[in-house]
Amino acid sequence: MIKRLVLDVLKPHNPGIVELSKELSELDGVEGVNIVTYEIDQKVENVKIILGGNSINFEEVKKKLENLGAVIHSVDEVAAGTRIVEEVRTPQDRSARL
Amino acid sequence: MKFLDKIRDYIRISRVAPISRRYFIMNAFDGAMTSLGIVVGAYVAGDPEPFFIISAGLGASLAMGLSGFVGAYVTEEAERTRELESLERSMLKNLEESVIGRASHFAPIWAGIVDGLSPALAAVVCLVPFFLSFLFSITLAIQLSVVIALVVLFLLGGFLGKISSRNMLLHGIKLLCVGLVLTLILLVFKSI
Repeated sequence: MIKRLVLDVLKPHNPGIVELSKELSELDGVEGVNIVTYEIDQKVENVKIILGGNSINFEEVKKKLENLGAVIHSVDEVAAGTRIVEEVRTPQDRSARL
Repeated sequence: MKFLDKIRDYIRISRVAPISRRYFIMNAFDGAMTSLGIVVGAYVAGDPEPFFIISAGLGASLAMGLSGFVGAYVTEEAERTRELESLERSMLKNLEESVIGRASHFAPIWAGIVDGLSPALAAVVCLVPFFLSFLFSITLAIQLSVVIALVVLFLLGGFLGKISSRNMLLHGIKLLCVGLVLTLILLVFKSI
């Protein structure tokens, strides 16, 4: 059961993120949506979509986004199971940075 | 309701509302002016028959309606196809199956309907007194028809003023004057 999903999405300017968030929040299993635009080009824009819920259906989300003309570039974070596990810093992350 | 919601979504996504508003005013104006021209022209020619005015008016309405629909449809369709292809190149994706693709197929049909119906409706509204000419004299029918056409022109001007958030009365009078000028020119011909 997916509880959190973070997606990097490329979309046309229209429909806008307000409409996109409404459409995504109406999906079964989705309880909350957050969309942040981080890059705008002449015809398209890149947005980060964070979905929270009890049982998010990834295929439904993908289908909905495709229907709205958007494309998932990457799935950047997934939290699944009965409890959300947050990303934690580990010694490996520090050594990787060094 | 679902069907209407879908249409509303397509209108919003394709952003066809402003262009259809322009088409509506431009062509309803054409329709009212054509009707006014036919009615006053028939009066100038002398001894007009209601049946001839109705036939000429309906013929002109049908022609304006058809040409409006086809003209708007083909031009919008070409524009929308170009826009969709350009967006598809930016997205690196075929958008035909998406709501954007469907909305861009819907936009030309909507523009065509507005462009076709507005002149035809405006023209038919101006001809209404002739349909009722069995109730009153032909002279009164002509006078009523001219008044209706001028009122339609005034309302169209008022609508223009409303959408541009400017003086509705002033814009209404502007279009009304165009109708009055046409009427006066035709009446001058009668007096010559």
